[in-house]
This record gives sequence, C-alpha cells and structure tokens, in this order.
Amino acid sequence: MTETITTALFYIFAASAVLLAFALVLTRRILRAAVWLMGVLFCSAAFYVLLGAEFLAGIQVLVYIGGIVVLLVFAIMLTSSFELLDDHPSALRRILGILTAGGFFAVTALALLSTKFPVKAYHGEAISDVEKIGKSLLNYGPGGYVLPFEVISVLLLAALIGGIVVARKVLVKDPEAKS
Amino acid sequence: MTAFSSFLFNYLNGVTANVYEPVSVATRAAEVWAHEPWLAIGWLALGMAVMLGFLVVIGMGLIYGERKIAGHFQCRLGPMRVGWHGLLQVIADTLKLLVKEDVVPAKADKVLHVLAPVLAIMATLLALAIVPATPWFQLIDVNIGVIYVTAVGSIGVLGVLIGGWSSNNKWSLLGAMRAGAQIISYEVSATLALLIIVLFAGSLQLSTIVESQADGWWIWRSHLAGIVAFFTFLIASTAELNRTPFDLPEGESELTAGFHTEYSGMRFAFFFLAEFINMFVASAIAATLFLGGWMPFQIAGLDGFNAVMQAIPPGVWFAVKTGGLIFLLMWFRWTFPRLRIDQLMGLEWKFLLPVGFVNLLFAAVLILMGWYFAPIPA
Repeated sequence: MTETITTALFYIFAASAVLLAFALVLTRRILRAAVWLMGVLFCSAAFYVLLGAEFLAGIQVLVYIGGIVVLLVFAIMLTSSFELLDDHPSALRRILGILTAGGFFAVTALALLSTKFPVKAYHGEAISDVEKIGKSLLNYGPGGYVLPFEVISVLLLAALIGGIVVARKVLVKDPEAKS
Repeated sequence: MTAFSSFLFNYLNGVTANVYEPVSVATRAAEVWAHEPWLAIGWLALGMAVMLGFLVVIGMGLIYGERKIAGHFQCRLGPMRVGWHGLLQVIADTLKLLVKEDVVPAKADKVLHVLAPVLAIMATLLALAIVPATPWFQLIDVNIGVIYVTAVGSIGVLGVLIGGWSSNNKWSLLGAMRAGAQIISYEVSATLALLIIVLFAGSLQLSTIVESQADGWWIWRSHLAGIVAFFTFLIASTAELNRTPFDLPEGESELTAGFHTEYSGMRFAFFFLAEFINMFVASAIAATLFLGGWMPFQIAGLDGFNAVMQAIPPGVWFAVKTGGLIFLLMWFRWTFPRLRIDQLMGLEWKFLLPVGFVNLLFAAVLILMGWYFAPIPA
C-alpha cells in the first residue's frame, strides 16, 4: 500500500517535472519560463523527499527556488527585455543556437547511455541526519569532504567579490576623462 | 477506534501529570497507516480542515486586533458599529471582498496574475502547518524544521515578485522589487538568528527544540547570544513581513499600494490574509525557538511556583507568547517612522548582518566551552 502510493507519487512528480520542463523551454515569455523552472526544481525536491533525503530537499528549495529563481526573476525585472515575443534572432544566432543545443543534447545522451546506474536496494530508513552530513562535510580523513567543501567556499567567495567589482560604481574623478 | 482512545488516554494523562509526548498529526497518521489506512486518512483530513479553519480564524482575529489596537493607539475606538465592539466588522469586510469583481488588468500576464496570490497563500499555509502550537497540535513535524520554515518562506517571496510583475503596472513592479529585495536581504539575518538556537538545541526539529527548553527558555539560558538573536530575528522578521518601520514596498504616498495595487476581490484577500498569517507564523516561530514554545515558565528550585506554572495548559502558554509578540509587532507600527530605502539596506548589511555573524561565533564559543545556563542532562 505504502509502496503503491510512493510509486504513484513518483510518477506524478516525474510527469509534472517533464511537462514543466517542456513548458519552460517552449514558452516565449521569459518570466513564465522562470516560474516553470521553479516548478521543475520543486519536483526534484519532491524526489529527494521520496528518497528519504529531506535535508537535501529543504536545501534544494531554499537555494534553488529561494535563491536562484528569485535572482532570475530579479534579473528579468531589471532588464527591459521582458517579452521574448518580438525577438527575431539573426540566421547566425539561430545556427549557433541549434549547434549548441544539439551538442549539449549529444553529450547528455552519450553520458546517459554509456553510464550504468546500479540500483541499490532502498532500505526504508531515511539517511537525513544533519549531524552526520555536517561531520562528513568537515571530515578531513578518508571519505571526508572537507577539500571540495573548502574549494567551493573559495569559489563562492571569488564569485561574490567578482560580483561586487563588476557592480560597483566607478567614480570618475576627472570629468574630462569621461568624454 | 483503539488509536483514538489511546490518544485520549495519553492526552488526559498528560494533562494531569504534565508529561507530554509531542506527536504531530502526520506522525499519528503514519503510525496507523499500516493497519488502519482510513483512520490515517481521517487524521490527515482532520488536520487539514483544522488548518484551514485556523487560517481563517487567525486571519480574521489578527485583522480585527490590528484595527482595534491601531485605533486605541491613536485614541480612537476602531470598528464599533457592526456587532458588539465591531466584532462582526471583519466578517462583513470578508464577505464584501469575496463578492467583489476580480479584475485582471488588460495587458497583464493572466496566468501569472492568477498564480501569484496562490503561491503566496500556499507558502503561508505550508509554514503554518509546522507551527507546534501544543504537543498535540502540530500538523507535520519534519526533522529539518528550521530549514523547512526558511525554504517555504522563500516561495512566498516569489508570489510577491510575480504578482508585482504580472500586474503590468509600474507601481506594482517597483513595490514588488522593493519587497523582494527587502525580504531576501533580511532573510539572511533572520536565518542567522535561528541558527544560533539550532546550535544550542542541537536539532532542526521544532518539537525537539521546544523540548530542549523544559528547564529554561533559550533566550535566558544562552547568556547574551539568545537575547541578541531574539532581537535580530524580531527586527528581521518585521522587515520580512513588510510591516511599518519597513513598509516601503507599500509606501502609499509613493507607490499607491505596492505589489498588490492591481489586485482586487478574492486574490487581494489571499495576499492580505497571507500577510497577516505570516505575522502569526513569524511570532510563533520566535516564541517557539526563543521563548520555549508551549513550555511553561520555570525557575529551578521554586517547586511550588513551577507547579502553578505547569498547571496552565501548553496551548495557553503558546497563545500568550505568540500573542504578546504579535502585539509587539503592532506596537512597532505606531512607534517607529518609516525608514528610507538606503537606511533600510544600511541597517541590514552594515549592522544586523555583522552583528549576526559575531553573535553566531560567540554562540559557538559558548557551546564549545559549555558556558550556558542549566545544560540539559543528556
């Protein structure tokens, strides 16, 4: 009974994730695309919950919906191109776009086809102990993740500083130099 | 039926012996799921129905309270005409809102315009479901409680942003931008303040955090760290709620009504209700994390006093604490003048955030050294 419902939930979320992903790439209104993206991310958070990884699901919603999608919406609002409807890209841009999309599709398809996914038996008990996750993130012994953790934090710091440098106002001291 | 009678037995037992075992409605449903699936569905349906009722009753109560309190702060009486002391005024207003015409602006994005208030109220309902009002009244008790509250809150921001954008109105857009920028800025400080209590309690689960305060609330026990975190959270959540010292997103002299300018009828009611319930949720979370939730006030050594305090049911404790915080938020509104936008951002990034980081470090040192009052026997 429980398994049936879990399976049904999985298919519901999987189907809506695929549909939302299609809506995301097919819509011509960019803000709607952001909203459908939110739906896709929410569905993947639901998958994490079904797999028993509640912490990951929470972080997924917090970071991707609360951070990335909000940032996207802000970017859309701040730029004037809020409608893609009138956009007629040039032939070169179209060809480049098709090439990029095709290349990405080929790489993804190859990666998916050449990988074997060993399905581990699911043992029912949720492995969502935040304390364990925290300890293994800061563990510098074998099997620890302290190096990737620190590398990512340095990367984020660099991105932060880069963002400030790009966004900061450059004070022009000499009014002649501007013209 | 057996599950219900054992629940009743535990309830009565808990009331007389003051030993409560917090069980959320979802856990209760999961327990009986294997052999009595209909009972489980019944529990869930009951929980959801109660939650909906709770939403409406709290919403109306807060709107009435806000109008009355605002009135008395200004030496007015507030609503007096409809019903005894205007008690039915809110019901009349709600009926009026529900039968009003639902206008969607001509060139607005209709889908998003309809979706935005739904997102806002959905986020609020999800947050309301985790509030541990009493040991028996908590709909879900996920083990990532604090993260859940923050995550769900971020969906509400999107509701506001999308609502403002899809109205096709520059005041709405500006209001939404201000609201969004303000909410995501102050969310950082609010989360930092919550993290301090997570550090002390050693858990993200709200029921465990409440239980960890049986010997004393974290605001007293954690020396200065708890008090600083409490005030940081209070200020940050006032800003997240767009309430008065920080109500620039709705500054009526500048922006008409902010992001909900173009909303009317039921959809406006959704935004309005979400805003008021968010105030309740923020107060309830502050009460739960800092003021012990439904735990009674205890002083070690004074057994007689403790017994009297324990005789008061946990629901009353929770209501008094949350109500007090809500009153404080309403009081803020008539005390502080509205900030300028640069003051608003300066307060967050140049004051609250550094204070929050230093406080987090301080709290970590306190915990490492074991320098907090009345540590719980493990």
